[in-house]
Amino acid sequence: MSDSFTLPLRPLLEKRERPDTLPQEIAQINAQYGSFRDVTEESLRAKIAEEKNKDPWAEEDEAEKPTAEVDTTERMDQLYKRRAEITQFAMQAHMEAQFAVDFVSLLLSKHAATARQAELSMSPYLKQVAPMGSLNAEIVNPPPKSEAALQDIKTVSRGWRIQNFNAAANKLLRSATRLETEVKSETKYWDEVLAVKNKGWKVCRLPRDRQALGVQYGFLEATPIFRDRGLAALRRADDGSLLLDKGLIPQKVRTVRVRVKTQGQSTGCSKVSWSLPDADSIEGRILQARDTVYEEELFHEMVREARIMGSQGVTTRQNLIQVPVSEEQEVLLDLVDVDQGEPADTEMLSNEHDTIADAVAHSVRILLAYAHRQNLRRRTQPPPPLTPKRRHVPEYQLLRPVMAYLQHTAHVRSLESFMGDIVGVLKSAGLRCGFTSAPFSSVRLPKVHASVPKVETLVKQFLMPFESTFTGNLLTPESSFCVKVRTNTVSPPSGTFYEITVNLPHHPEVKPPSRIGLQTEAAAALAHFMLLDIVTTISNKGAKSPEGTDAGKGVLSWEAAYAHHGELRALSSSGNNKKMKVSLSREELTVQTYPLRGADVSGRAEKGKSANPRHQSWRSDSSESRPSLMEFVEEVSQDRP
Amino acid sequence: MSSLTPDQIKTLEQSRQRLVQLTHSLGSLITSLNQSDPLPSWTSLQSQATIISNNLLTISDHLSDNRALLATLVAYPAPSYPARNPANTVALEQLLRTKLDPRVEDWVARGRKAGDTGPGQGHGLDDLAALAALWDWAPVEANLEARRRNWGGNFTLEERERGVGNVVTGLRRVLEDDDDDSESGSEEEEGEEESGDEEGEGEPDEMEVVGVRRKSGVAQGLEFDIAPAASGHAAPLTVVAPVVPLDEILRFMTVGIMPSQR
Amino acid sequence: MHELLLFASVPAHQHHELLQQLAGLTAMQPRHRLERRLVFKAYRKPGLVTTRVGASQDVQGADMQRLNKMLNGGMYYTQVVGPVTKADFGPTSSSAMSASHDADVSMSGTDQSSYCYDNQPWRLEFRDIPEAGTRSAVTTRLMASASLPKGDIAVPMNAWGYSFVTEYMVEGDVFVQNDIVIFLHRVLLYPQAESQDSHGPRQQLPAYHELTPLERTGSYVLQAAITVQDGSNQEMMKTASQHLFGLREQLKSAVRLEQADRLSLDTRAK
Repeated sequence: MSDSFTLPLRPLLEKRERPDTLPQEIAQINAQYGSFRDVTEESLRAKIAEEKNKDPWAEEDEAEKPTAEVDTTERMDQLYKRRAEITQFAMQAHMEAQFAVDFVSLLLSKHAATARQAELSMSPYLKQVAPMGSLNAEIVNPPPKSEAALQDIKTVSRGWRIQNFNAAANKLLRSATRLETEVKSETKYWDEVLAVKNKGWKVCRLPRDRQALGVQYGFLEATPIFRDRGLAALRRADDGSLLLDKGLIPQKVRTVRVRVKTQGQSTGCSKVSWSLPDADSIEGRILQARDTVYEEELFHEMVREARIMGSQGVTTRQNLIQVPVSEEQEVLLDLVDVDQGEPADTEMLSNEHDTIADAVAHSVRILLAYAHRQNLRRRTQPPPPLTPKRRHVPEYQLLRPVMAYLQHTAHVRSLESFMGDIVGVLKSAGLRCGFTSAPFSSVRLPKVHASVPKVETLVKQFLMPFESTFTGNLLTPESSFCVKVRTNTVSPPSGTFYEITVNLPHHPEVKPPSRIGLQTEAAAALAHFMLLDIVTTISNKGAKSPEGTDAGKGVLSWEAAYAHHGELRALSSSGNNKKMKVSLSREELTVQTYPLRGADVSGRAEKGKSANPRHQSWRSDSSESRPSLMEFVEEVSQDRP
Repeated sequence: MSSLTPDQIKTLEQSRQRLVQLTHSLGSLITSLNQSDPLPSWTSLQSQATIISNNLLTISDHLSDNRALLATLVAYPAPSYPARNPANTVALEQLLRTKLDPRVEDWVARGRKAGDTGPGQGHGLDDLAALAALWDWAPVEANLEARRRNWGGNFTLEERERGVGNVVTGLRRVLEDDDDDSESGSEEEEGEEESGDEEGEGEPDEMEVVGVRRKSGVAQGLEFDIAPAASGHAAPLTVVAPVVPLDEILRFMTVGIMPSQR
Repeated sequence: MHELLLFASVPAHQHHELLQQLAGLTAMQPRHRLERRLVFKAYRKPGLVTTRVGASQDVQGADMQRLNKMLNGGMYYTQVVGPVTKADFGPTSSSAMSASHDADVSMSGTDQSSYCYDNQPWRLEFRDIPEAGTRSAVTTRLMASASLPKGDIAVPMNAWGYSFVTEYMVEGDVFVQNDIVIFLHRVLLYPQAESQDSHGPRQQLPAYHELTPLERTGSYVLQAAITVQDGSNQEMMKTASQHLFGLREQLKSAVRLEQADRLSLDTRAK
């Protein structure tokens, strides 16, 4: 209100000159308390205190006292009590009014003009006990009422008037106060709603509760049960502050937790709780609600997906998904309350794989967002014609890409280390051999298509089969190998497969097995090709001498006998035939030579001849200096026993 | 002592009618209380209370208007009254009773106490002329105060004085302000609103996807609120009904016959 | 395949608001659609021609055969629909348009649109006359569609026994609500060329702003359609119409979706 406007609502209290009322008061005291002798100070004080606490109108106001603590049944009881009172009052009033009607009716029944009407309004009881017209009335001149009686009437009427004005004023003032607080809290409520809206949240009317506002924080593309949970009512607390009412959904904040177990021990756990800057603000609670509904949907979808991954060793329990990654590692996913999700230190062997766990946690979330986008895409395309077949909603790809990635990584790592070992062994034997690995060579940063958002093309790459390649040159010129490792967990055949191609000009007949599924098999095949290549290298060395098989100058020349078993032999014109056996593993390269009797090509050794077998092995980790393989071969190539 | 004149009988008859009305109102209150559990709707309860209160007022007015007559009228049983029967006597006593009911007595006592407790309090209430003056003054003054506000508009007087454009309504549509003749205020507001949208939404042309909720389960059980057509534009388009009927358009699309050619 | 439809007329002033409402209802942004629509009319029974129109044409043989079979019964109007984009429209005014229409003028116009008639993809959209006397309050009709060769479509259509009647443009927005395709559209007419003698589809498109709405107050047609694979499956047909009624109910306060006048969709060529 612009100008101050005051209107006194309570009756004015006029301080008028008081007449001497002592005689009256003494009379009153006598009447009330009896003789003055019985009145003591204490009793009066007690009386005053009692009066102070007792409003003479207390009975009336009782009902309006705040009844905050009474529960519903008590309230019901109270309500029925009041109802009974109202009924009782009404019946009493009705009875009294009926007496009055009866009285006037009986009176009027005497007069012809009104008798018929009067009879109608007489109660049946009265008709029984009083004949019509049995009441007379006359105008008399009664003596005037005494001054005291008139004064008494005045007092009574003034008393009630004061009380009623007071009551009305109180009610008005109370209403005004209530209205004011209501306006204040309403203003506060709408300010907060506006603040929520200004933060970018969608605020709308609730479909089922048209009087209420709601905020939409959920995901339109989620499965219906989760999509419908993305809306909560914005209720008003008594003081006007916003309450986020999610209905029957528990208020818990939940999240998906990822743990990594290596050889049965926990070695990593994803971050479970993020402290929101303002968790108790309405914004904070909306964010928590949004995150929780997302996390719960994520877990729901992962369980759905895990069920179709049983053949790949994925198991689900009530609230746990176990995904095997390699022989010794597995990933565990579960849905936990944020405040209880952090594992105790005692549970954790190490935090070595926290990063992997976090990466997995982020990945599945990104993949769910991607699935939502795909849903939108599908939903907004013109639908196929209606058929009795229900459109199956395919399981989202959440775990499968993650599992593929981790499995693939494990395979590639292991092959890489195997190759590294072999190269190390060869190197210590003085052989030059190298390889290059291209992990995840299949993943290419996509070209930007205008029609598809960049982020989607990016994620899409990770839903395709993974491929890594290893290429290397072998010892002999023009010999090379190439290993392609492919992992696919989406479409059958799922799992990891190796495709090895070799180019061995000296063994054109060698064909590697087409599909190798086991890492050990692949390693064995590769080692075998290396062995063949070493055998070729040794036999080539001899062939280099221009003199042909009989090298002369006392040098023998080696030729492969059973290349696949690493066997060579050297024929000597002087009878010092020799046999050589080469073996290769990731640990070591071993070469042994034995003398051979006679010129029997079949290798049947003649007995009796004293032999001096030679033996040499190379390991990558030994530091002692030893001759290289070629030096050793040269040495054993001397045409002597 | 004199018997009653027809006018006096008429007055009594009016009393009777008013009392009958009161009895009826009370009777219907009792019925509706008995017929509803726990209580009739508060609106009906309140209107019944108002009716009863009005009945009482009418009776009260009637009684005081005819005070002269009613204060001097004395009723007594006629000789024809069968007073020998005790039941009849009880009924007669009830009718002719002048002593107040104990509860009413109590009520009067409370009024007396209140009137006594504050000597000097509320004497203004005895001044009936002053009271009447107050009652004359109050409704006019209240009305005047009420008229100083625009109760139906979208903006309060204070808001308009501070400038309608500064009011943050949170609404996308521009509220009309009937008192505001200049369009500048609302245009300005629209500009602000739109720039705000662009920041928030990224694409200014995006439709707002909101207010939809499907019932879980059945796909067609979607609940959606479409407000009845209200002009959502800053510059409302003129409403023009299509001149070509739908079937003519469809016919053109199907076989290429121009609507005018038929 | 069967198509079930409901229609509503939408006054121009309601268009924007309805777009908003549909976006809210379907929770998607509208997809703008521009289509060239050519109306063809059969001049002889189509069953008499072979479907071979030339080896180079990439007609889906099976589709065409199916269509031919369907059309064997009688002669029909049928539509050829080609999607275009706004960029396909010429930036030029109508005078420049008519100049380029003249064969003598070389195609030196620098600001020609990228529209290439020879690359225009087409789809044949056949619709039967709506079924008569169906008690359900939806328009139900047999439908079929097939891909057509790109480019000049008049020649193959003629070979199939169809002559060109007229063409127009349809502009509108598509929404998808579960199985229902909602198309809020209007018909745009090409500017009247001074010579109407070139009786065939246009080779070029005029500037977009030169198109005029058929309904000159600019009103739109709201079409809600749902297709059913097997029209003899009563269960599916019932489901489909119930879906449409559901939509009608949801949009009730905004528009009145109704069955169309059957004869206005009469595709029979008399």
